[in-house]
Amino acid sequence: MSDPLSKAATASEIARAVMSGKAKASAVVAAALERIAAAEPTVNAFTDIVAERAVRRAAEIDAGRHLGPLMGVPFAVKNLFDIAGLPTRAGSKINLDGPKARRDGALVRKLEAAGAILVGGLNMGEYAYDFTGENAHYGPSRNPHDPTRMTGGSSGGSGAAVAAGEVPLALGSDTNGSIRVPASLCGLFGLKPTYGRLSRAGSFPFVDAFDHLGPLARSAEDLALSFDALQGWDPDDPVCTDRDIEPTVPTLHDGIGGLRIAIAGDYFASGGEPECFEAVAAVARALGATRTVVLPHAAAARSAAYVITAIEGAQLHLPRLRTRAQDFDPDTRERFMAGALLPGSWYVKAQRFRRHYRAEVLKLFNEVDIILAPATPCSAPRLGQVMMTIGGVELPVRANLGLFTQPISFIGLPVVAVPIRPPGAMPIGVQVIARPHNEAAALRVAAHLEKQGVCVAAPA
Amino acid sequence: MAPYSQREGNVADDKPDIARWVDEGAKAIGLPIAPEYRDKVIVNVERSLAIAGPLLALELDDELTPLPVYRP
Repeated sequence: MSDPLSKAATASEIARAVMSGKAKASAVVAAALERIAAAEPTVNAFTDIVAERAVRRAAEIDAGRHLGPLMGVPFAVKNLFDIAGLPTRAGSKINLDGPKARRDGALVRKLEAAGAILVGGLNMGEYAYDFTGENAHYGPSRNPHDPTRMTGGSSGGSGAAVAAGEVPLALGSDTNGSIRVPASLCGLFGLKPTYGRLSRAGSFPFVDAFDHLGPLARSAEDLALSFDALQGWDPDDPVCTDRDIEPTVPTLHDGIGGLRIAIAGDYFASGGEPECFEAVAAVARALGATRTVVLPHAAAARSAAYVITAIEGAQLHLPRLRTRAQDFDPDTRERFMAGALLPGSWYVKAQRFRRHYRAEVLKLFNEVDIILAPATPCSAPRLGQVMMTIGGVELPVRANLGLFTQPISFIGLPVVAVPIRPPGAMPIGVQVIARPHNEAAALRVAAHLEKQGVCVAAPA
Repeated sequence: MAPYSQREGNVADDKPDIARWVDEGAKAIGLPIAPEYRDKVIVNVERSLAIAGPLLALELDDELTPLPVYRP
């Protein structure tokens, strides 16, 4: 067990220490704020630090005013989550001129209701239209394992803050891969839950059809603990499910017995660098998975996800593109403008295809419970890198880091990204994909891999 | 009947004039594109056309409607 004041401490370890009286929440928060001050010049994960609020909250917890499974756990959120009293940047400069949030986003409130303590807002790619973690306004978040490299995005600050050990837990958003890509590049566990499972109320949108929120952490247990605290119907998000809360912690350590696990072939077995397929093979070996399944028309699914994203995102931002184009990040501006010019028939076709693809993929889950796929086609590219060579083909970094995540979020399947750290190399992630609303199975697999020592997320 | 086939594509055989598409489309939707942004917008529309290819190449069955998400 790690010292609860150290950067290696997980959220679960901190909560246990605070609950048992072995550590004070105030001391935990003070240690986190010190680590943040020390690491920020290198990793640039935070855009806002709410130290005063965090210290006050910790004192309340130490006074016995807030009990819960995440007691005393410092956490931070991608800056598209509302934080009371701050403008919701969503990675932009433009939103700084908007209103300040009147209250915290729904998931911030849920984590704090469970005893966790918000310490700040995190850097992100502008308006979440990003896979790199770079941002022209606030500087790039930098990969704690090698600060010359990308964190991945768009939840880049979330990846950097947790991988640097600044905080044990962060929230991000994932529209096409924005939790799974930084989890992969920063060597973390990340959970993109089922579409509609967690409330998005009080967060800045990007693409309503695909927007998901979820946690990044350094252990599977932390994902489960926070996910359980985050679940629950919310009338403020029309997409949020009214299913009963399905706790995942009670079954987390049940092992993988009874789970039928397969490897995604075809589309997911090509178009990446060798390290991404080696990572899948390592995870498959550890799980005894040998069967391969094919997600039919995954390439079209990726196309359709791209089209829906480009058109919905552009439509959302069209008023700002008309009047404040010069204030956009140059790396999102022209992509948004291009999206505004794509035919509406493409959008409707993509939505129609989604129904078919969903039905075909759900059929696979009659035969298997878990599907493994690479999370990213490569480990972290260098900061500023525009093109990359994938499988011998030169491709733009921005459009292609999400090659393997897009066909999965397209139909809202739950995924846990688990980290592989080859000796002497940068980390890379594997997607553990389950049927809708079966986050519990994906988390069980992640916990099993962690227990076997196959997937470990140590801070840099 | 299969829900889709790849018998025929939906993309024109002739390469479209993307620069004109951008200029006229932007006018049609009232989106001013400053000259310094224009080239990158064209590149991004070209890239979108390429990425959309696998979707556009499919022919969908008439009965395949989108999943309803609106619940009155």
